[in-house]
Amino acid sequence: MTGRTLRFLIPVVCFTVSLMSQDGDQAKPPVSPSVVHARAILGFEGISNNTNGELSIEGDNLIFKPAEGPIAQIPIASIQGLFLSQEDKEVGGTPMALGRAATPFGGGRAIGLFAHKKFDFLTLEYLEPNGGFHGAICQLDKGQGQAFGSELEIKGVHVSGLNNDSSKLETKNEAK
Amino acid sequence: MKLNRGASCKAVMVALTIGLSALTLPVRAGVNRPGVAHWSVVVNQVDAGGLGLAPEFEVAIYENLLDELVKTKQFSAVLRSGDRNANDVSALLILKTTVESYTPGSETKRAVTTVAGATKLKVRSQLCTREGKVVAERVVDGNVRFFGGNLRATHNLARNVAKAITESTLPESAPSVNEE
Repeated sequence: MTGRTLRFLIPVVCFTVSLMSQDGDQAKPPVSPSVVHARAILGFEGISNNTNGELSIEGDNLIFKPAEGPIAQIPIASIQGLFLSQEDKEVGGTPMALGRAATPFGGGRAIGLFAHKKFDFLTLEYLEPNGGFHGAICQLDKGQGQAFGSELEIKGVHVSGLNNDSSKLETKNEAK
Repeated sequence: MKLNRGASCKAVMVALTIGLSALTLPVRAGVNRPGVAHWSVVVNQVDAGGLGLAPEFEVAIYENLLDELVKTKQFSAVLRSGDRNANDVSALLILKTTVESYTPGSETKRAVTTVAGATKLKVRSQLCTREGKVVAERVVDGNVRFFGGNLRATHNLARNVAKAITESTLPESAPSVNEE
């Protein structure tokens, strides 16, 4: 019984791991930073949490367009600050988590070692027309956050985090 | 005869249950929610308390608090920090959130080890009046230990804060504008 389970699971695990490694090695085509695929984690007005869509800069607005439904629009002038960060996240969602939990002999932990990916996070702080403070978090593919942040920085948004930390420190020292 | 006795027992039980529920429900409502819906609340930005809390956590706590407070239906309006509409509201409470401790976790560590990598947050939550009088105060935590991303801790935290506010006794009525 155990042998049969193992015989079934080993190919599944190997296949999953090979898929993960292939995904990591793939060379990513250069994407125009002004339109990027993103996931609205939270805080976008009228958009449900964890909605996939496209984040773009159009004129003086930052726009999140989900696949369906209304778009969220933030005037760039109202953005108080943008913070970039990077975080490891598990891929596969709930099905993967359940699959890991169900895998015997600690196989789930082994899968857990590979079933994660680095993402860039964009944290926006902006003001509504009535003065209310608003925050929004967006998840982008690794490397896209920096490019997108630079575009916004050109438009006058204060950007911090990732590569901007050094410039921030220099500014602080100058202020002293 | 036996059947009759059983039936009457059941009838008594049902009557007792209905009677008790009728008695307890209004009392609970009377203790916890007298005039609460008259209050509006402004959610202040999260005070990180110099603990190096990542900005995404600050924003996530703030946004989740707004969502969870709306869900409780305890307040007639839930306003954002700095909202100018708050100036016209007489019965206004201010929710202040100060982070007391923060343990950054790792989703990968959680997946691999099960016991390590938990994200832990503990905040002091204060409901104050405009004059600064603290109406309710609680230390609340929000953790993520097994499943879910690190930001899930902020969702759990906000839910616990909203629950604590629902359970706390707020003043029956707001001071009128003349009293102020």
